[in-house]
Amino acid sequence: MFLYSLIFPIISVIAIIWFIARYLKGKNAISTVILWSLFWIFVSVFALFPQVSNEFAKLFGITRGLDFIIILVFVILFYTVLKMYFIIDKMQNDMNTIVKEFAISNEITLDDEEE
Amino acid sequence: MEYKITEKDKQDTYVVLPAYNESTRIQPVIDEIAEKGYNIIIVNDGSSDNTLDVVKESKRKYPERIHIYSLPINRGVGVATQTGFEAVLNFNPKYIVSMDSDGQHSPDDLDNVIRPLVTGEAQAVIGVRPLKDMPLSRNFANAIMNLLTRIFYRVDVSDSQTGFRAITYDALKVIEINARGYLISSEFIREINDNNIPFVEVPIKTIYTPETQAKGTNVVVAFKILLQMIKHQF
Repeated sequence: MFLYSLIFPIISVIAIIWFIARYLKGKNAISTVILWSLFWIFVSVFALFPQVSNEFAKLFGITRGLDFIIILVFVILFYTVLKMYFIIDKMQNDMNTIVKEFAISNEITLDDEEE
Repeated sequence: MEYKITEKDKQDTYVVLPAYNESTRIQPVIDEIAEKGYNIIIVNDGSSDNTLDVVKESKRKYPERIHIYSLPINRGVGVATQTGFEAVLNFNPKYIVSMDSDGQHSPDDLDNVIRPLVTGEAQAVIGVRPLKDMPLSRNFANAIMNLLTRIFYRVDVSDSQTGFRAITYDALKVIEINARGYLISSEFIREINDNNIPFVEVPIKTIYTPETQAKGTNVVVAFKILLQMIKHQF
């Protein structure tokens, strides 16, 4: 057994517990928990039984199992970046709203300076 | 015969000036507008220089005509203009103008820009810069932006990137501006078109200096606006 066959399942279990804990605290949607749990289960399966990746690769018309894993990682990274972009975009909009409201409710007067 | 703008028309007009690091250029612009009898809303966009001190200096000269708002951090010309547009509603103006604070636009054009609003010819005005005065790179970027505005927002205008625009109070309450940066120019045009607000184009003078050319829509800004336009389609 290779070292990664041991490490990845441990990381997967920790990650899934972490996502469930966040869901219970109301910080994650159930869909997020399911999606990421599936991902980590796949990671564990590939780590414990590497030959399974070949079967998945064939399913998608890819020749090697390793190629399938690399493509999968790229897709997940793209999804993560896109999701982060939308989160930041929303934060920017929220920030703009706060900054605007702050400015409008605090008109600068010359009295401010004299005080 | 051309309608002559009265003092009352000027009192009913508020000029929104978004300002970011304009300490060396903004004062003559403010003073000239105030001397003409217009009201001014200045929005300091989190400037890191002493723009705020300079505009306060102008307010001492014209305390009744100048209103200053300051964003605690820099958020872009779009957000600064939005702030001005929202703040101005508290003063119940009839006509609202927004123009650049770097001296690129001439306050002499204010009468011409608000005239169609006062006479009822239109409810929004777009100040169109003469193409012959425009530097080549700016001209090219502007042509691209006009094309993109036509494709994405389905509006055909001569100058989609102008920062000199005017609108009536009623029309301003209808439109919704969300752009943070220079996209505001195209978004303003899209909003008046989508809301069926009658608008006209009015030729304006533009004063190009090395400093004013450094700002505004160049090819890089045009590319960023394109990305935002694509995003807004979804």
